[in-house]
Amino acid sequence: MATSLLIALLGCVYGGFALLALSQSRNWTLVLPGRPYPAARAGLLKAGGWALLATALIIALVRDGPAFGLMLWVLMLAAGAALVIATLSVRRR
Amino acid sequence: MSETFPASMHWLHTWTGVIIGALLFAIFWMGTLSVFDREIDRWMMPATRLAPAATVSLDAMAKTMTQTGAAEWGMQLPTDRTPIVSGYTVTDGTYAFLNLDPATGKPLHDPATRGATDFFFPFHYSLLIDQWQIGKWLIGLAAIAMMALCVSGVVIHRRIFADFFTLRIGRKTSRTTLDLHNVAGVLGLPFNFMIALSGLVFFIAVYVPGIQSVVYPAAGSSFTQDAFGGFDRDAAGEARALGSLDAMAREASRRWGGDTARIVRVTHSGDAAAYVSFDRSLARRVSMTSDAVIFDGPTGRLLHEHRTGPMMTTQRFISGMHFAQFRHWPLRWLYFASGLLGCVLIATGSLFWLQSRTKRHMNEGAVGMPLVRAITIGATTGMIAATLAYLIANRLLPADAAALGQSRAQLEIWAFFIVWIASFAHAALLPRRAWAVQCWAIAAGALTAVASNAVTTGDHPLHAALRGQWGVAGMDLVMLAGGSVAAIAAMRLWQRKPRLVAGDPAAPALPAA
Repeated sequence: MATSLLIALLGCVYGGFALLALSQSRNWTLVLPGRPYPAARAGLLKAGGWALLATALIIALVRDGPAFGLMLWVLMLAAGAALVIATLSVRRR
Repeated sequence: MSETFPASMHWLHTWTGVIIGALLFAIFWMGTLSVFDREIDRWMMPATRLAPAATVSLDAMAKTMTQTGAAEWGMQLPTDRTPIVSGYTVTDGTYAFLNLDPATGKPLHDPATRGATDFFFPFHYSLLIDQWQIGKWLIGLAAIAMMALCVSGVVIHRRIFADFFTLRIGRKTSRTTLDLHNVAGVLGLPFNFMIALSGLVFFIAVYVPGIQSVVYPAAGSSFTQDAFGGFDRDAAGEARALGSLDAMAREASRRWGGDTARIVRVTHSGDAAAYVSFDRSLARRVSMTSDAVIFDGPTGRLLHEHRTGPMMTTQRFISGMHFAQFRHWPLRWLYFASGLLGCVLIATGSLFWLQSRTKRHMNEGAVGMPLVRAITIGATTGMIAATLAYLIANRLLPADAAALGQSRAQLEIWAFFIVWIASFAHAALLPRRAWAVQCWAIAAGALTAVASNAVTTGDHPLHAALRGQWGVAGMDLVMLAGGSVAAIAAMRLWQRKPRLVAGDPAAPALPAA
């Protein structure tokens, strides 16, 4: 249970930051060069991203309680963002 | 100081970084290693790579400890990170240490090393300078500088949200360095700020000496009493055997809702007025509680129970976030990764300063640049190489090694400092290829350390993992990964033509016409 919640947590922070990255036209064209950047729906991507990060917080709190949960969430945010940045920088090369 | 706010923050960020960068890297590097200090201890003390004991009998170990004849002694009990019992005795104010096998209660051989807990860890919080607590003051200064760097860094970051995901690894090295510095700074911001602030809060009594006298004007130990508990009584002068520690431990555990004890201390051992203190385990919460239960030695009757007060719990919670003594493997790894990211942040900051100024400063004939370069190289790659030298010396020095009146444990520390000082000298005298050469040294050192562990103990990573020694296997695998990164960096640096400008002492002399 603890392990699957941890994996779900990582998935949520990675997915959340991935959506936030895609809401920026620069990253959208990098990842999906064939498709035009949906400027009108960028807000939707952003909202989805924040929603996933909030879901991650709930998972962390359920898994570990308030003290460990908050610490885990904050540090996992950095890990998720780092993975998205690494993905983008591999795509860029 | 410059006139506009961002410009003055830029000035602050640049010069704080240049002056304190080397010190910050040392503190961050040693702190990062201290996250896994117990695991490094196992690697450096092969005799303590024990399988976890199924049952631990405190009474069996008390027998060994009382045989030392010391009037005062204590034991740190095994955890999932430390399979041994670390005992100490106090005779006439002098401490002696001995490790016990929890399965048998018998003493283990002296490991003849200070390991990580007694070298990397004190390096992290005191720089090993105990005189007038100068080391701790320097670290306090560095912690304040770190927070100033965090704030000024956010102010001068031009596009913190637009460039949040931007890491351009490409041909232009200064671009890569700055992107890496920005990403490491933004992602590490919560961790770095928390770690600097909590370090200061932990040493509040060092940095604001006598602060407790505001609330506790009377001299004496009433503050210590309230904060940390404490119980004392004189010896009766009448011999009497100690009761069952196991029974006392069960009672303590019952009072703590199932938490176990982490430390047991016996005072006036063998006396009728002996008493036994149990400190509560730190495994299950962030806060480093000072909860303790004290029993009468001969009868096991409860004498005193200390519960951490609300104010102290706050201080202990903030300290606990820094110390990470809790049992939480994902967080432990995240602390380690965040620490490494902090090292990257500090190193890329110094590197960017060098890359963007070398040419201009050399043309202006500024003398400081080669100095900053040598200090940066020695403080970063040199520090890592020195750490590996310490580990290699630990594995290759014979068990009874001694030279020039220095014990084996001291020789290991000599290996550290000789390599570290040599790395500064190397960077100052041969700066042309210094980064590349030191990266090669790190790659070779990591491989040598892993190989020497395999040869001297038989615990190559696969073997160690198969027999459940995850600390040892993890240590080897992290070194192999780190060594590979160093080798890739070294190859890239080697292929690049060293950019040097006239006036740099590192530039080769012009060929004779």
